[in-house]
Amino acid sequence: MEQITSSTRSLKAKTYILLFLMITLGSVGNAILDKGMKMLGPIDFSTRSAIWRGAFQTFTSGTIWLGICCMLLFMVCHMLVLSLADYSFVMLFSAITYALVPLLGYLWLGEYVPIARRIGIVLIIFGVFLVSRTPPRTTPSASAGSISSAN
Amino acid sequence: MRTALILSFVVLTGTCGEISLSHAMKQIGEVQQFSPAAIFEVLGRSLRQVWLWIAIGLMAVSFYAFLTMLSWYPVSFVVPATSLAYVTGALGSKFLLRERLNAVRWAGVAFISLGVAMAWADPMSLLPYLRHSYIFLREVVFAAALAPLAFYVLSVWSAWRFFRKSHNQTPKSSNDFTPPVSILKPLHGLDRGAYENFASFCRQEYPQYEILFAVGDENDPAVPIVRRLILDFPDVSIRLLVNREGKGTNDKVAKLCLLAQQARYPLLIITDSDVRVARDYLRKVAAMFRDPHVGAVTALYRAIEAPSFGAVMDTMGSLSFSGSALLARDLEGLKFTMGSTAAIPSERLAEIGGFAPLLDVHSDDYELGRRIAQLGYRVELAPDPVDMEFPSESLRDYLRHELRWLIGLRHIRPGGHFGLFMTQGIAWTAAAAVLAPSWIGAAAWISAYLIIRWLSGYVIGVWGLRDPVVRRKIWLLPLHDFFWFFLWLASFAVNRIEWRGLVFTLEKGRMIPVASALRAHE
Repeated sequence: MEQITSSTRSLKAKTYILLFLMITLGSVGNAILDKGMKMLGPIDFSTRSAIWRGAFQTFTSGTIWLGICCMLLFMVCHMLVLSLADYSFVMLFSAITYALVPLLGYLWLGEYVPIARRIGIVLIIFGVFLVSRTPPRTTPSASAGSISSAN
Repeated sequence: MRTALILSFVVLTGTCGEISLSHAMKQIGEVQQFSPAAIFEVLGRSLRQVWLWIAIGLMAVSFYAFLTMLSWYPVSFVVPATSLAYVTGALGSKFLLRERLNAVRWAGVAFISLGVAMAWADPMSLLPYLRHSYIFLREVVFAAALAPLAFYVLSVWSAWRFFRKSHNQTPKSSNDFTPPVSILKPLHGLDRGAYENFASFCRQEYPQYEILFAVGDENDPAVPIVRRLILDFPDVSIRLLVNREGKGTNDKVAKLCLLAQQARYPLLIITDSDVRVARDYLRKVAAMFRDPHVGAVTALYRAIEAPSFGAVMDTMGSLSFSGSALLARDLEGLKFTMGSTAAIPSERLAEIGGFAPLLDVHSDDYELGRRIAQLGYRVELAPDPVDMEFPSESLRDYLRHELRWLIGLRHIRPGGHFGLFMTQGIAWTAAAAVLAPSWIGAAAWISAYLIIRWLSGYVIGVWGLRDPVVRRKIWLLPLHDFFWFFLWLASFAVNRIEWRGLVFTLEKGRMIPVASALRAHE
């Protein structure tokens, strides 16, 4: 019995750590890519040589590579967390980014947040709180199966 | 149109991609180690999964469509609109990945979708879209709100056809077909008026029949009552059997297996212990088998009295159920039997393999009729309803057992369970009244619902079933509809049922005991 609770707890801990990494890497990666592309300026698509020059600039920029690395790590975390938790859990949990982006915009950049948006942020946070009250995994897995058969 | 197309494309390809990815990762199994070597090993294995490549393809297509959508519409429309993906994602994970979404997670889906829509929508740019979708939605709701009203009217028509015939039936018309009958009564504890209920079966005006009772152990409170019955009715063949074998999870069926084994006569009639019948009951039920195409006979039921509010709601529920059963009988023929009566010739029972295949089935009485109907036999309704001694239960008990019944139905006939949304009169009326453009319109919807609903209650319950409780309490019918709607909603989210103090989950109609049943019960 103790074995089950401790393994459930460690499963939960791993899920939350991966979710945290996934959300952070995803948001940071997006922000870095956004910044990197803006630093390069608009890419000229008028001639073939201009396109190649644009591509060269893009892929020699350290900022862009940093962004790509973040996004790759985001994808790895996403895959790993899906091996542990329900898709419906991960999907809903990652919706917190939709609340964090306007919230951070308000806190750091002092952007004005209209009332409807504030209510929306509260609703998302409450929804994610509700989801966090449900078990991350409801389907059996190869290793979870061995737990229940040991029981 | 273009908006709807691109939106559905983005949402569906995105959801399918994510679901494929999730499926691929679930195939690999839980990742236990997080060392770089272990992660690379997992990534290597996942790249060999076909589902992963399908996922990548779908997600890429979805992302491209999302960018296209962004080039057509403002972000303040695209992000809220694509929050629909939370709903499709939840549905996909439930039906494709077989995840169990409980009520709390569904509430999370609702809050998050609404929250994303509100946090990212710009009201001014959305105004035209909102207005169009509002008008469209309103028309859909109006059309849908007519469906339950039509359902009530049609069930009144079916009830009128059925009861007109059964009320006019002359007592002598069904006297000449009287095969010997074994009445099977699985018991578990005592119901109100148990002696009177059982005695009504001993007073049958029928040439040859026997009554077999089965209990789980000798200490069952029903045992002294049955012994008294044996003394009081020496002319009737009554036997009491004790079922000591703990076969299957449904102990009623375990008892039925034993009873069927011991039954001597070719026509078996199974009735719940809370049923009371008239003296000509056996005659009327047996007479229906004169037609060799009839494979089973079941009966409608009415209340004897309602000792509590829960029992009143139960009576209103049985009235509504009778309406659906009568309509179903006219439209497609009955495909189920009820606990009130399930009469079946032993030959037909042998054709479905006896009771043994139902040992783990939750809604055994329903399933029995369904299996007979599947063989091409007709399931018929006895002309008279039986009387039911509803327990003096609280509202909470009533809600709990109705929910259990609905969860059972969802597992046996998911389509029929989902189709109940067309019979939710009170919910659709409330929606139509809220959306009605004027107060008069709203009042018209509410009056139409109340008049048609009470009329259906009167025709089916008071005139047809001659139910004394419905006659006195018919005004409570809308309250029953109110509870019924929320129970129906809840039955989508709940998978656990409590059955005689134990907790089970249902899988395809089979009861699987939950290991931690006692803990959950506490």
